[in-house]
Amino acid sequence: MKGRLGLAVAVAAVAAVPYVAPTYHVLLMLPFMAYGVVLLGLNLLFGYTGLVSFGHALFIGIGAYTGAFLTSRFGVRSLEVIVLTAAVLGAVVAAPVALLCVRYVKIYFGMLTLAFGMLFYTFVLKFYRLTGGDEGTPYLRPSLLGFGLNDIPKTDYLTGPYYYYSLVVLVVAAAVMWRVVHSPFGLCLKTIRDNPAKAESLGIGVGRYRWYAFMISAVYAAVGGALLGAPIGNVDPTLAYWTHSGNIVFMTLLGGFASFFGPILGAFVFIYLEDFLKSLAPSSWRLIFGALLAATVIFAPGGLMGLVGRARPRST
Amino acid sequence: MTQHVVSVLMSGIFHASILFLVSAGLQVVFGVQKIFNLACGSFYALGAYVGVSAVQAYAAAGGPAAFFIVPLVLGGLLVGIVGVVIERGLLRFVYDRDETFQLLLTFALVLMLEDVIRLTWGTSPLSTGGMYLVYGQVRILGAAVPVYNLIVIAASLVIAGGIGALLTRTAFGRIIRAAADNREMAAALGVDMRWLYAQVFTLGTVLGTIGGALVIPATAAMSEMGIELIVEAFAVVVIGGLGSMRGALVGALVVGLLRAVAISVYPELEMLLIYLIVIAVLVLRPRGLFGAAATAA
Amino acid sequence: MTGSRREFLKGIGAAAVAAAGAPAIVSAQGRKGVPSDPVKIGVLAIRAGIAAPVGTAGLRGTEWWAERVNKAGGILGRKVQLVVEEESNPKDTVERYRKLVLQEKVEVVLGGISTGVTLALGPVAEDLATPWLSWDGTTQKGVDETMPNPRWAFKSVDNEVEAIVAGILTPKYFKGVKTVAGIGNDYSYGHDCWQSYQAVLKRYVPDVKFVLELFPKLGVTDFTSHIAAIQQSKADLLMCSFWSGDATIIMKQAAAVGLFKTMKGVFTTAGGVHDSLKKEFTPEGLLLGYNTMYFDDPKGSPLLKEFVREYKARYNEYPPYECDHAYFNAESYKAAVEKAYAAAQQWPSKAQVVKALEGIEVESLSGKRGWREDHVQMCNFYQGLTTHKNAYDFATINPVEVVSTRQAMKPAGAKLFDWINGWKI
Repeated sequence: MKGRLGLAVAVAAVAAVPYVAPTYHVLLMLPFMAYGVVLLGLNLLFGYTGLVSFGHALFIGIGAYTGAFLTSRFGVRSLEVIVLTAAVLGAVVAAPVALLCVRYVKIYFGMLTLAFGMLFYTFVLKFYRLTGGDEGTPYLRPSLLGFGLNDIPKTDYLTGPYYYYSLVVLVVAAAVMWRVVHSPFGLCLKTIRDNPAKAESLGIGVGRYRWYAFMISAVYAAVGGALLGAPIGNVDPTLAYWTHSGNIVFMTLLGGFASFFGPILGAFVFIYLEDFLKSLAPSSWRLIFGALLAATVIFAPGGLMGLVGRARPRST
Repeated sequence: MTQHVVSVLMSGIFHASILFLVSAGLQVVFGVQKIFNLACGSFYALGAYVGVSAVQAYAAAGGPAAFFIVPLVLGGLLVGIVGVVIERGLLRFVYDRDETFQLLLTFALVLMLEDVIRLTWGTSPLSTGGMYLVYGQVRILGAAVPVYNLIVIAASLVIAGGIGALLTRTAFGRIIRAAADNREMAAALGVDMRWLYAQVFTLGTVLGTIGGALVIPATAAMSEMGIELIVEAFAVVVIGGLGSMRGALVGALVVGLLRAVAISVYPELEMLLIYLIVIAVLVLRPRGLFGAAATAA
Repeated sequence: MTGSRREFLKGIGAAAVAAAGAPAIVSAQGRKGVPSDPVKIGVLAIRAGIAAPVGTAGLRGTEWWAERVNKAGGILGRKVQLVVEEESNPKDTVERYRKLVLQEKVEVVLGGISTGVTLALGPVAEDLATPWLSWDGTTQKGVDETMPNPRWAFKSVDNEVEAIVAGILTPKYFKGVKTVAGIGNDYSYGHDCWQSYQAVLKRYVPDVKFVLELFPKLGVTDFTSHIAAIQQSKADLLMCSFWSGDATIIMKQAAAVGLFKTMKGVFTTAGGVHDSLKKEFTPEGLLLGYNTMYFDDPKGSPLLKEFVREYKARYNEYPPYECDHAYFNAESYKAAVEKAYAAAQQWPSKAQVVKALEGIEVESLSGKRGWREDHVQMCNFYQGLTTHKNAYDFATINPVEVVSTRQAMKPAGAKLFDWINGWKI
């Protein structure tokens, strides 16, 4: 009960932000919500299945480029269509990639995903006639639930209708993921994470379940990518670079991978801390961030949620 | 025609030497500690910057150009000491953790070292100027080859041979191989793992920094060069096999020569070809050419 | 004298001065209609990666400008306060830009270099209704303009101008060139330069053959394989559009195999790292481009000489062209504010500043530069043949060719290749 109340308060607080916070901070909430969706998916793979992907920016890229191509090449502006198409494309690409990757675990899984991520990056960068290369592809203002909203200034659009749309997507995504991890499927994943041999002996097809988890996480990442791209207005290959993949793993760890809401908290803290540090220490924010990541890994591997006592990571 | 073939071959082997030097440190650390050190590119960059500073200081002090390679190598070797600092100060806290935490820690290192390098040396590209040309060039079957390139190639072979000898002929090498094979057994047999890890990581770091220092006269030190290099090093160790020195050598040759041939014949392909091979290897033979069996599900 | 008459005369005086085209004279503080707090100027500078030296140079140029302006009393008596944010990838840079305008409330944003970033910034600048003066970034997709009529965005010269200038100068200095090889970075700038260079050269040498094109990705540090391929092509001339440390590297590696002993070389933009092109490995007789500022210009103004002297003293380097772009942007903003003030008699609104910027011309480090009516920079480009006859340990150029954008940049609204093909040769 206390949990539900806290959750309701949190959602209400986020919903209230456009009314109380300065415009810039409202805008910062947009990547937070987009990353929130991405990380819900990433953590299904990381926290619940025990696989750390170092190439998930690939799917963020797919989602963002879907939005860009649909709006600027095919004249399709509906964000519903964009999100759906991104989800489908994310799944389509993930199917073979996941098939190859889930045969391995730990470091090899990480390396294989990193390789796929960089392959996508190189492909998008190189085939510039198709994708725009380093110049990217414009992601025009999507229409929300059929409303074009093209005459209001972009900033008002982003801090108003688009903000609430993103919030709804995040809440729905979280609700769906909650059901997933608390279902028998989720239980199977946790068993596979903790003891693959036992899982196998219980009749759980380890490879198959990991594949499902990968697919779901890819769909989430693509949806997040579609949300991430619209405020930028131009989608480029750097969204798929390996350091972007590293950053989202960092966010997940920071928040706490052993808790459901940990990664979302991690996204929030990461984004605001990064903004704060970039203005405070423009020449050395990467140093501080690296030190923060190191400190988290060494002293607080359960992340912020772990520190608060909400989750205890299993030592493997 | 022969002249051109020789040119392509020599350029491929030169690039392979660079790749080998970047990857050697990575392999040694992975082989024993099972840590994929994302910061190996950063150590390489560190060695490059320190190498430039050492040579510039040497030249300013009036040292004869012909011996510039001495301060270069010394600089590269000495800065490898940071390996001890990083291992004892940072890495050792995560040995009992999951591999991915170790990977993340090395990612943290990448971020930190980038800023440290930039704060120390600034953002302008740094080079040792004309020192590269000091030893002149030779003609091999009609193709002009800079002597310094031959020095780098020779150095890689010496280092490769040295590591090989270290691993197969010394007690230390035996311990390394035993620990790589079976950590628990080695520890049970009385190997001081802490000391071994410190030594191995430092060795890996020194291999990276000396590689950077050796190559820098032929190129230039630039911001974020470490982040770029890790991608190529990654390709080399995947093809050659994680943890294998022989793999690093062969993998580097494969990537270096393929790249040189692609540039000559079909430049469009270049990097794309390498990635596809990486993926093919990871899928068909994940252990690479010489690696140990991959951790299968 | 009563207050209002003094104001009136002051107003007439300022208007007369402004009408004469000279900048408003700085007087004691408390000018009418001018706030007393500092004027916040946002700056976006690249700090990391291959373009970091360019960003650093731009920031240094802006800081030098700000120091001088503040020493002389500021803009209309208001001190200048620079608010610096980092330009990195498009997503993060858009966020920093929004922070500068929405949170820091800057009056203008200066900076922006890489095209991927500036393409994203263009629409954002328009939306946030604040003037944005880009140092080196355009809103071109390839060679085509995507924002032909911006209100708030002011763009750098077209990306391919230095390649066009090099194409014009090549037949002048390198007669009898029949075959050409090209190498550039594998991204829009590298491709655009190569296409433009080819189009221009073909106008002067219709039967020229382009025998090789190589596009190594940005960040490559070893070109030995590329040089081997270039040697094999046996081209008469190599055109290279590198502008950072890779220019130094390829020059060094080429010297090691004597590439330019038998091949001519055209380096359109290597002036960006000019003081790293040491004499030991940079031969004489190459065509070298310094973009819009040549630090050792024999016709250089006292301003340029002073800047070069102080830059060298402070940073132990010689300034590259980005300093000029940065200085020009800042100085043109100041001049626009002063011009708009003279008409409005109060600190101008952002819209008034934008109006004043169009068509304005100011004295920059490299000489007179201005903004075209469609918000694109107009300036000179400096290229010449490398020489060792100087007091430095690196190569410089002599003679120095100065080509204006009036000649080498497509007019507003024109299509690049149609325009080139329409030249009267």
